[in-house]
Amino acid sequence: MADFSWDVRSPLDRALVAGAYGAQGDAGVSLTEIRNFDLVQVMARRGKAGEMAKAAKARFGIAAPETRKAVGTSDATLIWSGPDQFLVLSKGGKHGIDALAPVFTGSASLSDQSHARVLISVSGEKARAMLAKVSSIDLHPDVFGVGAAAATSMDHTSVTLWRNNDRDGQAVFNLLVFGTFAESLWHTILDSAAEYGVTISHSEELA
Amino acid sequence: MRIVCPFCGERELGEFTYLGDAKPQRPAADAGEDAVYDYVYLRDNIAGVMSEHWYHGGGCRAWLKVTRNTLTHEISAVEPAAGAGAAKVGA
Amino acid sequence: MRGNQANRLAAGGLVDRSEEISFRFDGKTFFGFKGDTLASALVANGVRLVGRSFKYHRPRGILTAGSEEPNALVELRSGARREPNTKATTAELYEGLDAASQNRWPSLNFDVMAVNQLFAPIFVAGFYYKTFMWPAKFWEAIYEPAIRRAAGLGRAAGLPDPDHYDKAWAHCDVVIAGSGPAGLAAALAAGRGGARVILCEEDFVLGGRLLADGGTIDGLPAAEWVARAVAELTAMPDVRIMTRTTLFGVYDGGTYGAIERVNDHLPVPPEHQVRQRLWRIVAKRCVVAAGSIERPIVFAGNDTPGVMMASAMRSYINRYAATPSRRIALFTNNEDGWRTAETAIAAGLQVAAVIDARPDVSPAHRSLASKGGFPVLHGSVNGVDGGKNGVRKISVSLTGGARAEVEADGLAVSGGWNPAVGLTSYHRGRPKWRDDIAAFVPDGAPPGMIAAGAANGAFGLGACLREGFEAGAAAARDAGRSGSTGSMPVANDEAFSLMPVWHVAGKGKAFVDQQHDVTASDVELAQREGFQSVEHLKRYTTLGMATDQGKTSNVAGLAIMAAVSGKSIPETGTTIYRPPYVPVAIGAFAGHHRDENFHATRLTPSHHWAAEQGAIFVDTGLWKRAQWYPRAGEKDWLESVTREVKAVRGGVGFCDVSTLGKIDVHGPDAGAFLDRVYINAFSSLAVGKARYGLMLREDGIVYDDGTTSRLAEDHYFLTTTTAKAGLVMQHLEFCRQVLFPELDVQLTSVSDQWAQFSIAGPKARDLLKEIVDPAEDLSNEGFPFMGARAVKLRGGLKARLFRISFSGEMAFEISVPARYGEAMARNLMIAGKPFGVTPYGTEALGVMRIEKGHVAGPELNGTTTAADLGLGKMMSTKKDFIGRVMAGREALVAPNRQVVVGIKPTDKARRLRSGAHIVPKGETPGPDNDQGYVTSVCFSPVLDQWIGLGLVERGRERIGEIVQAHDPLRGEDYDVELCNSVFYDPDGGRQRG
Repeated sequence: MADFSWDVRSPLDRALVAGAYGAQGDAGVSLTEIRNFDLVQVMARRGKAGEMAKAAKARFGIAAPETRKAVGTSDATLIWSGPDQFLVLSKGGKHGIDALAPVFTGSASLSDQSHARVLISVSGEKARAMLAKVSSIDLHPDVFGVGAAAATSMDHTSVTLWRNNDRDGQAVFNLLVFGTFAESLWHTILDSAAEYGVTISHSEELA
Repeated sequence: MRIVCPFCGERELGEFTYLGDAKPQRPAADAGEDAVYDYVYLRDNIAGVMSEHWYHGGGCRAWLKVTRNTLTHEISAVEPAAGAGAAKVGA
Repeated sequence: MRGNQANRLAAGGLVDRSEEISFRFDGKTFFGFKGDTLASALVANGVRLVGRSFKYHRPRGILTAGSEEPNALVELRSGARREPNTKATTAELYEGLDAASQNRWPSLNFDVMAVNQLFAPIFVAGFYYKTFMWPAKFWEAIYEPAIRRAAGLGRAAGLPDPDHYDKAWAHCDVVIAGSGPAGLAAALAAGRGGARVILCEEDFVLGGRLLADGGTIDGLPAAEWVARAVAELTAMPDVRIMTRTTLFGVYDGGTYGAIERVNDHLPVPPEHQVRQRLWRIVAKRCVVAAGSIERPIVFAGNDTPGVMMASAMRSYINRYAATPSRRIALFTNNEDGWRTAETAIAAGLQVAAVIDARPDVSPAHRSLASKGGFPVLHGSVNGVDGGKNGVRKISVSLTGGARAEVEADGLAVSGGWNPAVGLTSYHRGRPKWRDDIAAFVPDGAPPGMIAAGAANGAFGLGACLREGFEAGAAAARDAGRSGSTGSMPVANDEAFSLMPVWHVAGKGKAFVDQQHDVTASDVELAQREGFQSVEHLKRYTTLGMATDQGKTSNVAGLAIMAAVSGKSIPETGTTIYRPPYVPVAIGAFAGHHRDENFHATRLTPSHHWAAEQGAIFVDTGLWKRAQWYPRAGEKDWLESVTREVKAVRGGVGFCDVSTLGKIDVHGPDAGAFLDRVYINAFSSLAVGKARYGLMLREDGIVYDDGTTSRLAEDHYFLTTTTAKAGLVMQHLEFCRQVLFPELDVQLTSVSDQWAQFSIAGPKARDLLKEIVDPAEDLSNEGFPFMGARAVKLRGGLKARLFRISFSGEMAFEISVPARYGEAMARNLMIAGKPFGVTPYGTEALGVMRIEKGHVAGPELNGTTTAADLGLGKMMSTKKDFIGRVMAGREALVAPNRQVVVGIKPTDKARRLRSGAHIVPKGETPGPDNDQGYVTSVCFSPVLDQWIGLGLVERGRERIGEIVQAHDPLRGEDYDVELCNSVFYDPDGGRQRG
């Protein structure tokens, strides 16, 4: 019998080269791919929005977002992804699909998206300038504040975008990108960011 | 053109797909061939205010009913399709 | 200083004399200063002849100092970066700039094609249409190639553009076009009011006409006021000032297009930077403060080098400290033109005469004339004496009929001002005529837009400031900003009076459109020949159709048209205005999307593994799919593909099929929902089973197919074809949200969540046993054909297994979470080694599906019904479904429809080609006996010959009949036999085994 290993490989495994890219000097954009997370899509059943909300509240201790927001607890982030639906982003299986299935029995339909998406965190002084090249939505701090979320498109590719808590006084934008599009969009992002100088890394930690 | 998605807010045209006239209603199963023929093929092509189906496929995937003036592209109303956001039905 | 800039004034101007710049024009080295344009540097060096005209190859100079320039067009840069038709008047000077004049051979001074001038009488409007009518066959062979060689201006580089372009979005409350007095005042008011402002200025310096004409604002010299205003704006965090940026178009919903020439002022953009950036600006309000354009007067010789717009002459003297001429005559029909005489005198130049078409001249100007020692002639210029070296003598027809001559080396012309009505008119707006200024002004504007200042016909400095400030303040308020706008900048208004003069009769060519060489007589001829509408006039004469879009010529053309047709100018009307306001490079519209980034690309989970194996990839939609895996020594694709097919049929192979669309269908009504979208029933499908499903469009034509499995009572896993994945998702959402909102069903795309592999061949189960946990029962009893269930793999990984076959062999599809996709491919290779496992690509997949008679894209082609595909029996009669009623229409159930059938050449050695028509044997092919065509072909390793599927009239009733394949594209006719579409294992024993 053969000897197998089931290595996980991010869709960005080859394309992402950690280090500096583009213009030299202080990097204006920081790109971090966050790997190995659990992501579950939760969609309320017909007429069951209230029940789903109650179940979510009981499970996470906070209300799931009903509008374009992302809310965080110590071990999960709930991100609005459309009417009557949200994504649960977490690590280590605690809020993975198997753990959540009994929570939402009868109130919501669940789909595992853990492997369907790539998570890219964008920050830096020029993060907004770079994102303006790929995103048609207004990311001005007064409009897209901390916790704002959007289901939108970048370079004709669907993404879920939300603004995390600021880090070192700077805005942090998180992007969930479909896995099979990820390498292509990554190159687009790098091209867009190159003039500002980029630092590239990957991490296993959800910020 | 920009469309105010009731779920996502104002978004650019590129996120949406146009389908067409939202007036015709799919006939009941027993309505007969003529009614279905009308539904499938007969469309008003109004130079003026029209109710149209648009799909926010580049966003929240909601189907929308958009009231648009085909002469000026002015959009006077946008509402979700009956089944978009239906989890709140009766809630 | 290295250069002798003979025509540079000793002091003044906004050029930086500490930075001398060398540049080349037609191979000769010159020097200019930072802050120059190419045109101002040429002026400073006394270069007057800069190009040859489009049709007549007449010598041309510099007419304007802005983006309206029709004449001074050059090829900028060389090699792959050569850009034709660049306006010298807006090209910023940089060290090493290399420009060449256009449309001349062998040189600008001696141009062979200038002989065209001798033939000028025949080059009139409509010349091509009239002259090259006969003989007709000469058009393609002789006339058109010759015309194409002779016509046109600059030469395109002909090489891929080495530079990068990109696109970006910007959002604001108020976008302002132009930074003259009105634009700056608007920005101040809006910015102070708290609005997010974007101020676009096409020049590289802010100030607009203030840069050339100065003035006093709030008691300060204009330059100082501009500096203060800019400093105040720069300090506002939500005001963005974009120089070198032209707002070129307005689109629905407050979206504006702008082009930023990020690095056009450098020979090569710095590394990682773009040359140009296309902006899509979303703004609640727009203030058009784009100013106005001084218009020429049409008279004989008005295109002679040295004839220049009066305002342009002021720009060169005041802003660039460069003198276009030493002894200047001025021809004006309005008060404003006189400023050029004032400027010339202040700069120490001679004024030869002022020719004023108006009956009266103000006392102030009279005293200026007597102080300056020049005559004021009442009348009009009707001829210019001079050639390629420029103006020498000007003839004047005086009011009352007498004639006069003026010796001068330059002629400044002011025919009044045309507000820049482009932006306000782009939504089919028609500007209105104002008699007092004899010009068109905006009459309304697209929603949210307002014109202010000169763009609105308010020419006085005070009025510009007031209108701009009020428009900016209102825009901020309308955008919901309520901050205090502070005090309005104040200045006096200059006196304005104008007497329209459009065309002065005289001897010689009088140009209306200088870029397209359209003369006054062309316009008159067009009118005589019946081209009454201005739209026809435009197209017949090509007036206004050049790259300058007639900025200096349109209104004069209309006026001449109106005069000859006896109508007023407003009656004559304007042509429709369309963006872009200035030419925009295609590269900027493309941005990042060129070459390999032309569109987004999707990669399968095993893509990089397949690349390591040397797979050849094919583009299918956005996807890159492995088409085949060549091995050393194989001479062509057919050999590789045939090997792959044989390996599967004889052993086992696998193929990444993750490109199929995958949709989770959840909810209590999931089965009922699927019953309505598929022609066959799914509510009756048992949990743990898969079923092939077919969807119709509502018109009864087949839409898509795929297998759908029931994984739980309320959970189906639906697959679509690769091509239709996105569209089927959209269609299903339409069904769910619009057609059947009463059903409790939820849809989620899981296409990217699962890596899915087909494992096919008689040894498929043997291979699978190596991968799957030994506790899983894979026997035919434990996991029969069309089974579907979750399984555990060795190592504990959870997967989904489907017993479905597209190849006709015993086959499984196995799904693992996508990040294990590459590991799955590697493990299948390891585990399959003893069985000779072979990865196969989409070609082998296609061969096997054709051998098995499975339909795919070429048969599901938007014209076929379920019955055409041989799947009519799947149509349920017990339920309603999409397309049911229309599928029953007479034509869709007609007995003579073209249906899927197998096709093989009677000569086994012959290659069958798809697209070949099927006609009865022995008949001459024609539309009347065309009975269908070949849809899919392959070389079948099993039958050792080319085979195919086709859509053929009554095909299934004609099995065994020999018909003719007619392939006019390849010039082939050969006999083929209609046969059962299932060439391989028709009983299906192998896939069930």
